[in-house]
Amino acid sequence: MIPEIAVWSIYFVPVSAFLLNVLLFRGSTVAGRVTIAAISYAWGMSLWALQSALAMGGESVGFEPHTWLEFGELVVEFGVHLDGLSAMMLVVVTSVSLLVQIYSTAYMHGDTGYARYYAYMALFTSAMLGLVLASSILQLFIHWELVGLASYLLIGFWFDRPAAAAAAKKAFIVTRFGDFGFMLAVIAIWANTEGHFDIAHINEMAEHGELAASALTGITLGIFMGAMGKSAQFPLHIWLPDAMEGPTPVSALIHAATMVVAGVYLLARMFPTFHSAPEGVSTFIAYTGAFTAIFAASMGLVMTDVKRVLAYSTVSQLGYMVMALGLGGYVAATFHLFTHAFFKAMLFLGSGSVNHATNTFDMRLMGGLRKSMPITFWTFLIGSFSLAGWWPLSGFWSKDEILLDAWHEDKFLWVVGTLVAFMTAFYMFRAVFLTFFGEYKGGAEPEHGASHSTGHHGPHESPPSMAYPLIILAVPSIIIGWFTVGGFGDFVQGALPLDLRHHPEPEPLVVVASLAAAIGGTGLAAAIYLGGTPSPARLLAMFRPVHGVIANKYYMDVIAEDGIIRTGLHRGLGRGLQLFDTWVVDGAVNGVAFAARMAGEGLRRTIFGQPQAYTSAFLMGTITIVGAILVLGGSALEALQSLRP
Amino acid sequence: MTFEELKPFIVPGLPHYLALSGQVFAIGILIALAKRNAIAVLMGVELMLNATNLAFLAFARFVPNAADTPALAGHVFVVFILTVAAAEAAVALAMAVLVYRRRETVDLDRLNLLRW
Repeated sequence: MIPEIAVWSIYFVPVSAFLLNVLLFRGSTVAGRVTIAAISYAWGMSLWALQSALAMGGESVGFEPHTWLEFGELVVEFGVHLDGLSAMMLVVVTSVSLLVQIYSTAYMHGDTGYARYYAYMALFTSAMLGLVLASSILQLFIHWELVGLASYLLIGFWFDRPAAAAAAKKAFIVTRFGDFGFMLAVIAIWANTEGHFDIAHINEMAEHGELAASALTGITLGIFMGAMGKSAQFPLHIWLPDAMEGPTPVSALIHAATMVVAGVYLLARMFPTFHSAPEGVSTFIAYTGAFTAIFAASMGLVMTDVKRVLAYSTVSQLGYMVMALGLGGYVAATFHLFTHAFFKAMLFLGSGSVNHATNTFDMRLMGGLRKSMPITFWTFLIGSFSLAGWWPLSGFWSKDEILLDAWHEDKFLWVVGTLVAFMTAFYMFRAVFLTFFGEYKGGAEPEHGASHSTGHHGPHESPPSMAYPLIILAVPSIIIGWFTVGGFGDFVQGALPLDLRHHPEPEPLVVVASLAAAIGGTGLAAAIYLGGTPSPARLLAMFRPVHGVIANKYYMDVIAEDGIIRTGLHRGLGRGLQLFDTWVVDGAVNGVAFAARMAGEGLRRTIFGQPQAYTSAFLMGTITIVGAILVLGGSALEALQSLRP
Repeated sequence: MTFEELKPFIVPGLPHYLALSGQVFAIGILIALAKRNAIAVLMGVELMLNATNLAFLAFARFVPNAADTPALAGHVFVVFILTVAAAEAAVALAMAVLVYRRRETVDLDRLNLLRW
């Protein structure tokens, strides 16, 4: 059994790597090795943690939390929570992170920000591990914000490019909208549970009906809002495609495999609470997820940038997971999270490898790369088959679980899900055929620096440190689907109370339909982009108006930036608040000052520089008082004495 | 009439001294308030101080000493007031001289720089 200190070290060793890189190894290539060493350590410890969690059958290992802060009634406890779910996430985060770090040594080679890159990566990994291990909702929230910060820093890593700087800002601000809801939920939790932040405790209270339905609705909707921001659910999905401005390994790690699934992880962590909330909340979650899935998939169909295709595919798959959670498919969602992390990271790293060779992400400038880049081609192909849901690759199994849950809970969402599976297969193989088949169309000139200097000799395979992570990631993408047979569900369900564990009945129709969707989508893509019948140009002419709307992302960016931000927030709310500030707040302050000044203006006229006149007034006052005492006797004296304090 | 019978009319008592003191004080304060010349105002202030001295001495002479007050308390007050009055006169006259050097006047109506 793993000791608690070892679990803590999974978190603190990457933290130390970050600090070392920031304080000691600025501008040094040692930074890369420091980060890789720290994450290798975390990976090893995570395997130990996994083994311990397996020994417990996925139930919580049961470390006691420690008091971190005490303010009177408010006691904040921090601890590590190790169970099937968090052990699974630990392994996902550390494995993908480790491979991405190794890959980055070649991808970022020669970049002026090499050390900065690895410092941020260590920061991100430690924050993500802290999020996974958090035992209290407050601890989770803090790391939730830290991964957001790391994401901001890494999207804007090449901050001298205006697009990257804008994308970083957008990602940060859009996710903040969701985080605001999450923060309100944390406050609501604190108010409704008598100051308990412990997640297990909250889940228990919710299950035993100790929380009012209204409070539960507020808490779950607030938490879901946070998840919508982080996991890019409609309408807060707009930041994720823009986040592709960051370095590709960052996209692979943060915006495909780990951070964006933090929302799904949070929903899974709080699953008993969501389960106890009123029915409408789950329905809302399921439909939001389903809409996001099909909405993003439709945009994936028309993108010409391979990374954008993958980004929309990520949004779509996240929608899948959220839909599954809304339908009560805890196992399906976490299993899809697990498989998706590996093959999507591999696809992103593959697109980075292609970019390394061609200096572009535009698929119209690629083509024919399967001969010159065999490793990238084969791994990308495996990833695509997996994502499209071909038997027996991992994506098939997890997608099938989700569709199975949808079949049992809501037939309409099952239809949507199967349609999305069809679209997924189509756009992934469109990307494969455009990138790796046909004639090479020349790529682009190198944009920045020494790293991309292959333009003259035509594209060639990437160096081993980039190719090996691809090969290693291909292995789980092929085999981990079989874990479902090996009891993955039982393991992650160990984190749930007994009455919430379930296994949906298998349904042959669902399997047949999802396989048909995968094969159909692939076949259609092959017909259009390999066979040329019907030719892409003719299709484009046919669907031009629709294509225009989708290629412009349904004008969501325009609506968000011009409609909501510029008009609604800046001109409307901002102007209104400014007027309030000018006239009401400033008006009150200035009014008080003005009144005081006018009073002084009037009173100072009485001070006209004649001491003799003041003294006369003083004398007359004295005479009046003394005269009053003489005339009225003792009572006037008493009245005077009563004036004394 | 015997001397004893005439005594209240010939030998002044406390009321006489207090009446004189009040009259001198009134004259002093009128001078201090009405005169424009700073020197004259100072003279009025001196009259007021001396009127108080007279009242102190009269009380010291005619009112029996209370058990807890030290003997000669009234006289001591007078000595203090004389000292302070001397110091005040010195300072005030020096100021008057300086004001005159600067402004060539000691007319209080024109020394009004401290008003608003």
